[in-house]
Amino acid sequence: MKTTKRIFAVLMIALLITSCSAQENTPISKDVKTDLTMGYTTEPEGLDPHRTAAASTFTVTNNIYDTLVGVTPEWTTEPRLAKSWVISDDGMEITFTLRDDVYFHNGRQMKARDVEYSFNRLKDAESPKARDYANITAIEVLGDYEIKFTTGTLDVELLKSFVYPWAAVVPEEEVENLKTKPVGTGAFTLGEWVPQQYLTLKRNDNYYGDDVKLETVKMVLIPDATGMMAGFQVGDLDIIPLTGDQVTMVEGNENYKIISEPMNAVQIMSLNTNNEYLSSEKVRQAMAMAINKDEVIEASMFGYGAKIGSHLPPTSPDYYDTNNIIEYNPERAKELLKEAGYENGFEIDMSLPKNYQLHVDAGQVIADQLGRIGIDVNIQLIEWGTWLSEVYGAKNFDSTVVGHTGRLDSYAFLSRYKSTSNDYISLTTGEVDELLEDALHELDEDKRKEIYKEIQVILANKLPAIYLQTPHTMLALQKNVEGMEIFPIDFYDFKEVYFTK
Amino acid sequence: MLSYVLDRFKSSIVVLLVVSIITFFVLMIIPGNPAQLILGTDATPEAIAELHAAMGLDRPMYQQYLSWLLNLFKLDMGTSYVYGESVTALIARSIPVTFSISTFAMAIAVFIAFLFGMTSAIKKNSVIDYFSRSIMQLGAAIPSFWIGMVFIVYFGVKLKVLPVSGFVPIERNLAGFIRSIFLPSLVLAIGEVGTLLRIIRSSMLDSLKQDYMDMARVKGLSAGKTYIKYALRGALTAPLTIMGMQFAKLAGGTVVVETIFALPGIGRLVLTAVEHRDIVLLQGLVMFITSTVVFITLIVDILVMFLNPRIKSFQEGE
Repeated sequence: MKTTKRIFAVLMIALLITSCSAQENTPISKDVKTDLTMGYTTEPEGLDPHRTAAASTFTVTNNIYDTLVGVTPEWTTEPRLAKSWVISDDGMEITFTLRDDVYFHNGRQMKARDVEYSFNRLKDAESPKARDYANITAIEVLGDYEIKFTTGTLDVELLKSFVYPWAAVVPEEEVENLKTKPVGTGAFTLGEWVPQQYLTLKRNDNYYGDDVKLETVKMVLIPDATGMMAGFQVGDLDIIPLTGDQVTMVEGNENYKIISEPMNAVQIMSLNTNNEYLSSEKVRQAMAMAINKDEVIEASMFGYGAKIGSHLPPTSPDYYDTNNIIEYNPERAKELLKEAGYENGFEIDMSLPKNYQLHVDAGQVIADQLGRIGIDVNIQLIEWGTWLSEVYGAKNFDSTVVGHTGRLDSYAFLSRYKSTSNDYISLTTGEVDELLEDALHELDEDKRKEIYKEIQVILANKLPAIYLQTPHTMLALQKNVEGMEIFPIDFYDFKEVYFTK
Repeated sequence: MLSYVLDRFKSSIVVLLVVSIITFFVLMIIPGNPAQLILGTDATPEAIAELHAAMGLDRPMYQQYLSWLLNLFKLDMGTSYVYGESVTALIARSIPVTFSISTFAMAIAVFIAFLFGMTSAIKKNSVIDYFSRSIMQLGAAIPSFWIGMVFIVYFGVKLKVLPVSGFVPIERNLAGFIRSIFLPSLVLAIGEVGTLLRIIRSSMLDSLKQDYMDMARVKGLSAGKTYIKYALRGALTAPLTIMGMQFAKLAGGTVVVETIFALPGIGRLVLTAVEHRDIVLLQGLVMFITSTVVFITLIVDILVMFLNPRIKSFQEGE
C-alpha cells in the first residue's frame, strides 16, 4: 500500500501544480507585440531550396532566402534582389541589375557571381527543378551587379522563372549545410529548428529592404486540426491554416478574422482517353454533365472552392470562365450516353490517392453521381507512391481525382496537354498543340490572353479531364495581426506582418 | 535459473535479427521509388536516377542490408532525409517524450486498476464491483482521439488550466513538464485501464479460491494481510505480463495521442517518416520499436519467473 500511497501523493501534487500555474500562459503585453506564433501541419523537408520539391520547405525558406524577382498577391512581378531588368528585343536574353546593398546572413556581400553559382546549382542533376531551367543555356556575369541569362528557345514567360522560391540565391561557401543551417539574404535568419516541435525565424538586422516589424516568428508544428484550433482559441497561436469544417468556429467572432483566396491550383478528375469507353468524347461530356460540382465542393471543401470548367484557376490573369460550356444536366447526360452507344452504362476504375482526403472525398461523391447515369465506378484507394508510379508514370488507370498546383505562367499549367508531352492526361488528338506553341512565342500580352482563352475553351469541350474546382487557401488570424497575405505561389511572407497592439 | 535468463536473451537476439531482415526488405519493396517521391513530378529521369544512386539504392539488396546491419551495431542508423540529421539523434530526442507519457500513463492505469480490481474481487457483486465493470467497458469503448479532443477543449480552451498542446522538457520546467504530459497520459491510461482491471479482478478471484487462502485465514491473519500477502502475490503473474505488454505498446510510440497533443514523440516521428517517405528514418524507428518491445518482454519474463515460485522451481528442476 505504501507505493500506492506514494503514487497517489504524486498525482495530487501534479494536480496542485496544474491549478497553481494556470495563468502562466497569458502573454504579458508590452506596447506592441513583435513575436508572432503560427501553427503549421507539415514538417519541411530540409531547408535547402535547391534540393527539394516539398511545398512545406518553400513556405518557410521564402523568408530566409531571396529571389531576383518578387511577386505581389495580385500576381504582378516586382524587384527583389534585382533592382531592374532588361529583356532583349528578340526575347531570348534577360539582363538583371542587382542591388549593391545585399549581404548574406554570414556577413559577406552578395554579388552577381553568387547568382550565377545558385542558378548553376539549380540546374545541376541533383536538383528536382533542373528540367524547368534547362532552357537557360548561358549565364554570364557582366559585372559585380550585372548578370545576363540566355535561353535556347524563346520563352515569353521567362521572367517568371526568377520568382519561384526554389530560384533562391545562396552563398557557395555554405551549401554543404543548407539543409539544416540555411544561409540566405532574406528578412529573417533561422533561429533554431527543433524537429517535431517548432522552427523559429529571427529578424535579420542587416536586411536591405524596409524595416521588418516582427522580431521573431515561431512556427509550431501541430499536426491535428483540433489541437490547432484549440491553440488558436486560447491565444497561443496568432495565425493558423484553416480547414473548411472549422470556418464556423472562427466566423462572426470579433476576436478573429479570416483571409481566404482561391489557391493557384485546380482539382480535376483525370481520364485515361485510351480506355475503351473514355476515348469517346460524348461519354466524357456525359460524365461532366452528370457531375454536380457544387456538391463535390461542398463535400470536399465545405463549400470553400470555386467551380471551374477548364484547366486554369479563376485567379490567373489568363482565366476565362468556361463554366457554362458544359453544365450540370443528368438527363441530357443519359441521352448522350445513349448516343454514344452505352445506354446500359459501363464500368470504370477510379484510383484515388488516399493521403489526400480532399481528393478522396471528391472522388466518392463523383462515383455516386456517375452511378446515377449508369456508370459503375470502382474506387481504389492507393498510396501516393503508387499513384506516382502507376497513374502518373505508367498511365495505368481509368480515372483519378488529383490536384495540379500552378505556376505563375499559364504555359506551365497547360503545356501538359500537348499531344507530344507524354503526360498522363495529354490531349492526344492534338487540337491545342499549335496554340500552345503560339502562346510560347507571342510577345504581345493581349494576343497571348486570346490564345489561352481558346485553349481553355477547347479543353472545356474535349475534356481530357473533368475540371472540378479551385479550392481556397484559408488562414485564421487574431484580430491584432495585420499585413498577412496569401500569394499565388504557396509561401508565407512575414516581412510585412505586424501587430496593432 | 541463469540458463533460463540466457536462453531468453539468446532467443531475443534471434527475434531482433529476423525483425531486422523483415523490416529492411519490406520497406525496400513497397511501391514507389523513394527518389521519385522525393523529387516529385517535375524532376527529370536523370535527376531521379542520380538521387537513386546517391541514396545507395542501386546496389544489390543484400549488400544494402549488410551495410545497414553493420552500421546498426554501431548505433548508426543513417541520416534522415527530411531533417538531414542522424536517425539515432532524432530517436534519442523523442524517447523522453514517449517514455514520460507512457510511464505516467501506466502509473495512473496501474493505480486505478489495482485499487478497483482488488476491491471488486474481494467484494464481488457489490456496488464497487459494478462500478469497476463499467470502467472496463468504458475504457475499452472510448476512442482515445475523441477523449483527447474533449480534454483539450474542456481543460485547455474552456477552463484554461492546462496547455492545449506541446511538450516541455523536464529539465526546463518541472511544473510545465507535468502540465504538458498530464492530459495525454490520462488519455492513454483510460485506454489501458479496462484490460488491466479485468485481468486483476479475475486473477484475484481465482487466487481467493485457493487453499492457501483458507490456511491464511485459519492462521488468524488479518483480512488485509491475507489479501495483500497471499492473494495478491498469487494473482500477480497475469497482470504483470499484461502490464509489460501495455507498457511496451505505449513505449513504442502512441501515434494518435502524440498527434492530437502535438507531442514530439516516437509515434509522431513514425508518422512524419511515413508521410515524407523517409525510408532510412522509418527503418531505424521500426528497429527501435521492436527492440523496445523485445527488451520489455524479456524483463517481464524474468520478473514473472522471480515472482512465481512454480516457474522458478520448474526451470531449476530441469
